[in-house]
Amino acid sequence: MAETLLDIAMMHSDSLIARAREGDKNAQGKLVQLWYKRIYNFSYKFFFDHDLAMEVSQKTFISMHKNLVSLQEVARFKSWLYTIAVNYCREEARKKKASRSFSLNDLNPGEGEESYRWEESHHRNENPERQLRHSELSDLLQKCLMQLSAEQREVVIMKEYEGLKFREIAEALNISENTVKSRMYYGLNALKNIFEQKKITKETIGYEL
Amino acid sequence: MNYRPDENVLIAYLYGELGTNEKEKLENYFQQHPEELAKLRALSEVREVMSLVQDKEVIAPPVFVDDIKERPLWQSPYVRFAVGIAASILFLLVAGKLLGPEITYSNGELRISFGKKTEQVVPANNLTEEKVSDMIASSWAKNNESLTAARNEDQKKLMQTIVDFNSKKIDALTKTASQANQDEVRSFVAGLQEQNLKLMKDYFQLSTADQKKYMETLLVDFSTYLQEQRKQDLQFVQAKVNNLEKNNNQFKQETEQILTSLISNPGKKQNNY
Repeated sequence: MAETLLDIAMMHSDSLIARAREGDKNAQGKLVQLWYKRIYNFSYKFFFDHDLAMEVSQKTFISMHKNLVSLQEVARFKSWLYTIAVNYCREEARKKKASRSFSLNDLNPGEGEESYRWEESHHRNENPERQLRHSELSDLLQKCLMQLSAEQREVVIMKEYEGLKFREIAEALNISENTVKSRMYYGLNALKNIFEQKKITKETIGYEL
Repeated sequence: MNYRPDENVLIAYLYGELGTNEKEKLENYFQQHPEELAKLRALSEVREVMSLVQDKEVIAPPVFVDDIKERPLWQSPYVRFAVGIAASILFLLVAGKLLGPEITYSNGELRISFGKKTEQVVPANNLTEEKVSDMIASSWAKNNESLTAARNEDQKKLMQTIVDFNSKKIDALTKTASQANQDEVRSFVAGLQEQNLKLMKDYFQLSTADQKKYMETLLVDFSTYLQEQRKQDLQFVQAKVNNLEKNNNQFKQETEQILTSLISNPGKKQNNY
């Protein structure tokens, strides 16, 4: 995964975190700008739901703002932030399970220009057809991800998409590193089985794209 | 060599987080067990496929959170609560001082009073049940006596009034009778006799007329009844005669039929229906 300027900024944000912890509003705002996309995408992949992802992201950053003072080590900011996000994800999942509601985004929208998938596309300058296939494939894989248990999904998303180290995931989830690895291993195996059922392979995807 | 890597080692190797020694050991193991390496490559392929999930673009909304201001001690909720209680107690004390309350407890009675102490009304506790019943009985007897006396007095007055009134009336009648002479008495008696005679005469006349009328009505009714009875008897006799005639005719017809049948079928045995 190619590192963007944003990623580099996130990796070197220790001083920013330190300032934010001391109550610097500007630094806090920048932290939100830096990490919002990551937390949103983590939540989105966890729920496959835009509204819930927005809800979790906002709650996470409000909580970050309130509790940043209590952060002991700046180096642990990343795992600390994901801990908050995971807790809110679990809370929202419980609420969702209790209310048995569904998001309007669960409905299959039209594939025209009004489609939110087209609106949210960040590669509008690409070939629209290719972009649409990418989007469809992304959704298909996301659905495969949703078939994992919540515990496996958390670990797979953190490792595969958020790039956390096993140690950081263990810290974020407050479990042992071996448990994280074990969940990751079984999560990947489960995904392999799901792909086999759906006949998804590297070759078929390459043909489609 | 009994080395067999567990899933933790395999996953760490897959993500390049394995130490050098462990890595070498694992690679040697893979040389001897290529099927295990194939399994790991399959997981690697899964990772490659999953990497195609795109990130969603999102714009971070402005997050406004109120500043957590350091409140002075006197504004903290606990202090305000305590100050509130203290103020209430102080208010009660001041009010108590001004109103001069007095709280006493004696003989199972809690007494809260304000202001100047008034003389306590001592309840009459020397009364016993017998005394009260005696008092009620004496009061009852006195009441009865006074009522009886009043009634006797009223009765006397009433009798006196009646006697006075009657004596006056009798006196007036006696006076009137004594003043009337013998002629007037005779004319009065003769008037009475005539009046009575006339009444008797009227009565007998009226009575005779009514009796006559009644007898006539009775006779008319009786004759009507007799006629009606006769008419009904005649109708009954007529009906009986008709019935007899009808039966006679029927008998005659049946006899004719039987005779006809016997004459027309002399040798045939008669059927019983």
